[in-house]
Amino acid sequence: MNTPFLDINNISKTFGGVRALTNVSLSIESGEIHGLCGENGAGKSTLIKVLGGSVRPETGSVTINGQPLPLGSVPASEEAGIAIIHQESAAFPHLDTYDNVFVGREIRRFGGVVLDRARMKTETATLLARLEQRFDPRTPVGDLQPAQRQMVAIARALSRNCRLMVMDEPTASLSTRETGVLFRIIRQLKADGVSVIYVSHRLEEVFELADRVTVLRDGRKVDTVPTNAIDRAGLIRLMVGRDVSDARTREPSVRAGVVLDVDGLTRADAFTGISFQVRAGEVVALTGLVGAGRSEVARAIFGVDGRDSGTVTVNGRTLIPADIQAAVQAGIALVPEDRQRSGLAAPMSVKANLSLAVLKSLARVGIISDAKEDALAVSMMNRMAIKAENTEVAAETLSGGNQQKVVLGKWLAASPRVLILDEPTRGIDVGAKAEVYDLIGKLADGGTAILLISSELPEVLRLSDRIIVMRSGRISGELPREEATQERILSLAMPEGAA
Amino acid sequence: MKALFRRYPHEWILVGLLTGLLLAAWRLDPPFVSVGTQAELSTHIWEMALLTVPMTLIIITAGIDLSVGATMALCAVVLGMTFERGTPVAVASLLAILTGLACGFLNGVFVAKVRVHPLIVTLATMSAYRGIAEGLSLAKPVSGFPASFAFIGRGEWHGISVPGLIVALAMLAAWVVLNRSVLGRFLFAIGHNETASRFSGVPVDRIKLLLYSLAGTSAGLAAVMFVSRRNTAKADIATGMELDVVTAVVLGGASLFGGRGRIVGTLLGVLLIHETREYVSWRWQNDELILVVIGALLIVSVLVNTLLTRRQAVS
Amino acid sequence: MTVSFRNLAARRETGVAVLLGLTVAVVAGLNPAFVSGANIRDMLVQCAPAAIVGCGLTFVLLTGEIDISLGSMMGFLAAVMGLATSSQYGNLPAPAGIAITLAAGTAIGLLNGVLVSVGRVPSIIVTLGMLTALRGLTELIMGGKWISGIPPGLRYLGTGTVIGVPISIWVAAVTVVLAWLFARETPAGRRIYALGSNPKAAVLAGLSPTRIKLFVFALTGFLVAVATLVGTTQLSVIESGIGVGFEMVVVTSVVVGGASINGGKGTILGMLLGVILLGIVRTVLIFLNLGETSVYWERAIQGAFILVAVLMDHLASRRKSAEVPT
Repeated sequence: MNTPFLDINNISKTFGGVRALTNVSLSIESGEIHGLCGENGAGKSTLIKVLGGSVRPETGSVTINGQPLPLGSVPASEEAGIAIIHQESAAFPHLDTYDNVFVGREIRRFGGVVLDRARMKTETATLLARLEQRFDPRTPVGDLQPAQRQMVAIARALSRNCRLMVMDEPTASLSTRETGVLFRIIRQLKADGVSVIYVSHRLEEVFELADRVTVLRDGRKVDTVPTNAIDRAGLIRLMVGRDVSDARTREPSVRAGVVLDVDGLTRADAFTGISFQVRAGEVVALTGLVGAGRSEVARAIFGVDGRDSGTVTVNGRTLIPADIQAAVQAGIALVPEDRQRSGLAAPMSVKANLSLAVLKSLARVGIISDAKEDALAVSMMNRMAIKAENTEVAAETLSGGNQQKVVLGKWLAASPRVLILDEPTRGIDVGAKAEVYDLIGKLADGGTAILLISSELPEVLRLSDRIIVMRSGRISGELPREEATQERILSLAMPEGAA
Repeated sequence: MKALFRRYPHEWILVGLLTGLLLAAWRLDPPFVSVGTQAELSTHIWEMALLTVPMTLIIITAGIDLSVGATMALCAVVLGMTFERGTPVAVASLLAILTGLACGFLNGVFVAKVRVHPLIVTLATMSAYRGIAEGLSLAKPVSGFPASFAFIGRGEWHGISVPGLIVALAMLAAWVVLNRSVLGRFLFAIGHNETASRFSGVPVDRIKLLLYSLAGTSAGLAAVMFVSRRNTAKADIATGMELDVVTAVVLGGASLFGGRGRIVGTLLGVLLIHETREYVSWRWQNDELILVVIGALLIVSVLVNTLLTRRQAVS
Repeated sequence: MTVSFRNLAARRETGVAVLLGLTVAVVAGLNPAFVSGANIRDMLVQCAPAAIVGCGLTFVLLTGEIDISLGSMMGFLAAVMGLATSSQYGNLPAPAGIAITLAAGTAIGLLNGVLVSVGRVPSIIVTLGMLTALRGLTELIMGGKWISGIPPGLRYLGTGTVIGVPISIWVAAVTVVLAWLFARETPAGRRIYALGSNPKAAVLAGLSPTRIKLFVFALTGFLVAVATLVGTTQLSVIESGIGVGFEMVVVTSVVVGGASINGGKGTILGMLLGVILLGIVRTVLIFLNLGETSVYWERAIQGAFILVAVLMDHLASRRKSAEVPT
């Protein structure tokens, strides 16, 4: 194969003064699985959107299978055989599954005027079966679990007989078993001569699947290397531009008094009989497969959702259910999973976001003291090494990692007794991850009781003192860190009888 | 100076339009811009101006209240009917204001507790409250209020118009809240991201309940002012008032999606609508033309604002 | 497995249908004349304009937008129609009048659509401004006078019958059926739902929000013109107060029928049920013989309907959450 299947040439794109991509060129062979890595803000999403046609670059060209690709047109990209599985949820919750699979390319009858539902349903069922999913294609997507929604997105891409499939963080919400199914599909595609671009922060996956990997940094291509010619540290070095040591493992802490006491927490359809304790200075990890109910438990503790029975006690005081105010008063803080939606008021300044949880304490008779607020913001920015021009810039201009630090900083300002972290390093680049781990360690050392919800087992093993595993809404086991291994955790997390 | 313009472009455009209008009026019809005339004309605007204050706060939280006109009508009816049955006018006024509070509180309950979109709730209560006003009063007006009552709507206190003073105080209070207070910051946070605000411990439900109750109470107060000034209370007053109020607030630069809004802007919006309306009426004696102008003004102002913000973001 | 999204929508339509059925049954029981052929015909004629326009508004709401200029549009189009065809003014023949009215309605709708999709002005603002401006424009062009002398060809639209059924009912029925088929069975219909369900994903899927929104607003303008043609021609004069408050009735009906203000959710069937439920309130009040003052409560009851409807939704989905409702 002398001419590559996909040739990306000198692509540049600027969004309102920010250079998202600068002269990026790379080429991909037929039937190649090509990894794409880079920190957040490196330009991966923009490059994918250029390939998909929803973004038009200022300069550059793309040739696919020898033909130039008309840029900036989704239909043209689809016509050329490019299928994109996007990171953000690109599903239509009100529509049925088969609608979701076919929107934009509906199968028609009667001269193209009417929908051919029967055919769309059967084809969707076939695709779902190939992905080992068993639900009815008539199910509205809004009723599906995140993992199933992701499978629908994959089905949509597969329905296209594409020549190039691009996947952006496809395993973020998938269980281990489903990830295995996805990998099998990807290898099948490769065998069929389809090229795959695989974007992921999970470097183990890139190493397992990809033939070559391209690294982007600050909108430019750094290098393209075969995956057997580089190791993890080397890849990270390319991505970050410097040596970043994986944060050192935390020393187990001294046991102190119980701060958070959860007893018999139950809510129908979500979790049953959840009981555990967290002591001051302890990091307890709550882990399990996606859908096990961990976030639901966290939300119930924090008062976002209600509960059917059970109690939550902080330092001896029992909390009123479903009352965020009460939880905050008692000293609980929650850093939610979805920081864009629930963590930050993105258009507001970094300063305003940092002070939001403690605003009353910065005010007298309801009037905010500018001096106190400024002092808080500056001190937080320094303490957490938040990279921003100053405290006045809008939070949305920060990178993902720095945004997460702002969310953390907001709660640190409140000196919480209990800090609940839900997937705190999701979508954060390697450099910022290490800094967040450091912060968590320091907080625990300072006496905060920490409940860490995470699906990343290496992270769990590195940070926690105790690991509680949930399975289908119940606690299936508890392991002190010394006895925990990835295998033991997984076996507690997987459905009974699974491999 | 240029920096000041850069920071408040919208308000400066409004000032420009207002100045342009007044200058043109001064050239063509000098008596219009005399202090006497303006003072006389100002009496038309006080109720609307008062209602723009809570509306600004509500719109900043990405809410809206379309029921203020209907609430005002219902309060006026309560005022009239209780007075008619022998209640002293002061007590009747208090009852009217309490009615407004109750109406606003009901809105607040549906928005904050039942979690229904405020557009839907206030659309419903707009019909409901107006309907109740019509049902109760059978569309019959009440007049014959005591002369002393006119103080609120038409009186003067040390030379300053009483209703004008009420509006000024309300705007001042709102300015302090929005620019300096914890509550004000919470309002902007809710408007930008309600979920994140909730998750940050902001008492969102309580605040919304407060805001809509405040709007209702203001409508009650506005009803008292109106009835006192016009010496008549009936169920069809303030028809279309809510549209005027929303138009003034949006004209003033607030975004219906929340997170943006300034009292100065609202004030300018009120002034612009007021002067436009009065001048057109003065010169052409044509009430219909005003509607066209205001409708177009609303759309154009938002259009221009959107273009400006996009230009800013790109540069 | 429970298909709860669908169930919820179905529940709303069922709830409204049940409420409607009960109301009719109760009133008919108390006053059998309520279900006489003549009365049913009158009630349906009353509901026809709202049903026609409701089709368009449902699509607008589905895309996540709103249109509150409907009543002012109707008033304006009535004036245009009247001025064009009245023997005292334009004196154009009825077919010309029909064409002009339809064109004008579509044009106004298109203007709304352009301002919303290209100008990026929020639809509540555009249609609020349009509501005000059109009302003023209507009064201006009518010069404070009523228009009479409408040609018999046009009056036939409002008063004529085919097989004993008034034309307005026929037109409404055809419109509703076509709209229903369009929403359920065509790709374009599905895409309207998709756009409202997830605007970002719609763009990624290659849909054009601009084109879809232009279409739904223009369609609504066209349908308002249709409703004007069959609705306002029932009277022999065109006066300037036509259509005042109409948008509130239609929006209320559509929302009661289950459409969501956030887009993506709503059905033509729900809209129809909502229109009928709200449309018969006045007649119900009359037939319940509660005295002549009871009709003053019509508006209050219509308002109460929305509140009841949303309360029902809330009680049905009682799982409390801190998320902003969709």
